[in-house]
Amino acid sequence: MIDQIINIIGMLNIRIILGLGGVLTLVTISTLILTWAERKVAGHMQLRIAPKEVGPFGLIQPVADAIKLIGKELLTPRDVEKPLYLLGPILIFVPVLISFVVIPFDAGLQVMDINVGILVILAFSSLTVLSILISGWGSNNKYSLIGSVRSVAQNIAYEIPLLLSILAVVFMSNSFSMKEIAEAQKGILHWYVFRQPLAFLIFFIACVAETNRTPFDLPEGESELVAGFHTEYSGMRFALFFLAEYTNLVIVSAVATTLFLGGYDGPVLPGIIWFFAKTYFLVFVIMWFRWTFPRVRFDQLLNFSWKILMPLSFFNLIATGALLKLI
Amino acid sequence: MVKQMLEHIKAELPDIHVAEASYPERGYHLALEAGKDNLLKVVKSFYERGLCLEDLFCVDYGDYLELVYFFNAYTGLSRIKTTVKLEPDKPSVPTISEIYPIAHWYEREVHEFYGVYFENHPNLTYLFLHDGIDCYPLRKNRVPVSEDDKQLLTFHDPAPEEDTFSINLGPQHPSTHGVLRVILKMDGEYILSADPVLGYLHRMHEKMAENRSYTQFLPNPSRMDYLSGLNFNLAHVAAVERLCGIAVPERAQYIRTISCELNRISSHIFWMGAFLGDLGGLTPFLYGFDDRENILDILEGITGSMITYCYFRFGGLYNDVDDRFIDATRAFVARMWKRLPMYEKLVTKNVIFINRAKGVGILERDKVRGFGCSGPVIRGTGIPFDMRKIEPYAAYGDMDFDVVTGENGDTMDRYLVRMKEIETSLRIISSAIDKLPSGPFNAEKVPKKLKPPKGDAYHVVESPRGQLGVYIVSDESDRPYRMRWRVPSYSNLMTFPYLSKGMLIADAIAILGSLDLIIPEIDR
Repeated sequence: MIDQIINIIGMLNIRIILGLGGVLTLVTISTLILTWAERKVAGHMQLRIAPKEVGPFGLIQPVADAIKLIGKELLTPRDVEKPLYLLGPILIFVPVLISFVVIPFDAGLQVMDINVGILVILAFSSLTVLSILISGWGSNNKYSLIGSVRSVAQNIAYEIPLLLSILAVVFMSNSFSMKEIAEAQKGILHWYVFRQPLAFLIFFIACVAETNRTPFDLPEGESELVAGFHTEYSGMRFALFFLAEYTNLVIVSAVATTLFLGGYDGPVLPGIIWFFAKTYFLVFVIMWFRWTFPRVRFDQLLNFSWKILMPLSFFNLIATGALLKLI
Repeated sequence: MVKQMLEHIKAELPDIHVAEASYPERGYHLALEAGKDNLLKVVKSFYERGLCLEDLFCVDYGDYLELVYFFNAYTGLSRIKTTVKLEPDKPSVPTISEIYPIAHWYEREVHEFYGVYFENHPNLTYLFLHDGIDCYPLRKNRVPVSEDDKQLLTFHDPAPEEDTFSINLGPQHPSTHGVLRVILKMDGEYILSADPVLGYLHRMHEKMAENRSYTQFLPNPSRMDYLSGLNFNLAHVAAVERLCGIAVPERAQYIRTISCELNRISSHIFWMGAFLGDLGGLTPFLYGFDDRENILDILEGITGSMITYCYFRFGGLYNDVDDRFIDATRAFVARMWKRLPMYEKLVTKNVIFINRAKGVGILERDKVRGFGCSGPVIRGTGIPFDMRKIEPYAAYGDMDFDVVTGENGDTMDRYLVRMKEIETSLRIISSAIDKLPSGPFNAEKVPKKLKPPKGDAYHVVESPRGQLGVYIVSDESDRPYRMRWRVPSYSNLMTFPYLSKGMLIADAIAILGSLDLIIPEIDR
């Protein structure tokens, strides 16, 4: 009996360790690609050329940037709250990694299928705000503090419509497991984006807000708060925040793909290619937002969530429930 | 208007000496000599008549100091030069900052440069010279700073209060566009009070002017405003021409108009990009740069420089324009007309932008005269106060154009006024090019060494930011006895503490952006 349990735990551990290793590689590579992609997207949207000198199409540019960031001095301002200041950049990265564990990249290609997969992602992605708060508080800088306080208010406000819109999907698929939700959307007409368009819209807007991207990039709004919660971070510590931002981008796009765009579902090509194609398309849309829209104001941001998104997502949830009961 | 004003002054202020001045020679209509005792009465009466305080400065004549107040009406032409003579030894005069808030800064400036003490001034501290100085720099004789003033001139940081905190917006901040520092007292994200701190870019151009000949000072003005150097260049040149009575040939006037309007468009486009950058939208900035680059190329072709132009000369221009300039300008105008709808789609109709700009930072129409603001800031409130129209200089008198005005005086109106002004400028350029006369581009018989006759002259131009005035006093030497620059951003910035009170920090950034401030121009 005990042997069996140890065995299972051992097996699990090995799988998780291997999976985490794989995920870490994936995250690093995708972040490198994304920083390059963002600069390319931004460049072409702004009538610029964007990086093209380092490597073919400037593809090696992110590596050059990474080397530069590693080489930079790690400045620690005198009056910072040291434990918190140092913990911030590390903490921001952990929950992001764990969220990848439950995402099904292809049929059978998943680190772990937990039957409450969505809840795991939501629980861990909420932790990001904690690390933003402590790094803002620990920096002992007024701009950082304002940025982190904004971030907390923003995340709380947008978590609720996010959850409610996901619940509509859960109603439809009768499962919290990411894998089963993906399996429930076989064939393009069964994708929840067509069956739950309102939920998708709310989910996507809330996702942009949760990842602090323009037009909801208030915690780090450059023109107002210099750099928001990471004003006082330099070198690799700054790079970790940067890395986390792009990883978050991939996470929310991957979750949106799994929940609404049929996950790895698609004809001819292997599932994993479909999965990444959809994910990166959503990432592109979020980048497109960033280079098109100005930033909203803080009270407008909160009003939009509490007064528009929340009633809408409630309505959507009730309508979904009623329809499912009737049919 | 001048007659009415004259009658009004004679009726209400019988004991004051007032004389009419010749506008084409002097640049003002009435010269009024007030005394220390009846100054407040005069100023109050002017405020009630709806006049604005354009400028306040001092001139040191050796035997006496002369405080000069320029008042002007928004409705028509009646610029009144009010002077107060002061003893050079311990001069003091009552403050008018309670009537005109803008005088608050002007008086601080006069105080630190001349040692004039303003009675009952609420905060007579440093405005520019934060490092301290041992004598009053603009006095003609060396006068050491008195012990009392040394105490007054110390800069005090505001004491912290409970439940509030102060935050330094600048001097290094992405949204202050230069080196402006604003001390914000905040309650959470709400601003309780804002206190701009100037002087980080103070170079004392006014003192420089006294130490070099008129010709030698030519390159200086465009260094004050790096976005509209030609307008500053023109203000200086035109003021000297007025002082010397030089008639400028028509061709030169037209070319001055065209190049100044091109400069205005480039400035407005740049502002639009920077303003959107303040609101978080970074793409319009680069779109704007694409258009602006065209203008810079055109202007480089005739002036030889990209930003800090020195193209106008006393009596004309540095050189004539060629066909390439005409063709390039025509092509640019055609291109810009096509680009404007794109900006409208990208920016003006964006819901987020409208929500950020509409109803934010409302400047009431009856407040503006106290702040003495000008340019798009005042036209946004609905007052058609445009120097190109009411005091035509260069060839603006021949041009047919409307003054663009807004309605509410909010950030959105200031934005719309500037965008529409681009259209106005395009029309002016087109018609000026069509009408461009041939002939000489320089006045004949302008002496190499200018020695203007004794006297003073004031000349205003409409810079992209508003009313830009140059006041020159000549003592028949080849150097100005006193040169005073009335810059538009200075008085526009004065509205910021008023507008940002009780606003969110994000709104304050939007307001600061919408005022279109050029810091080197404020600091001079």
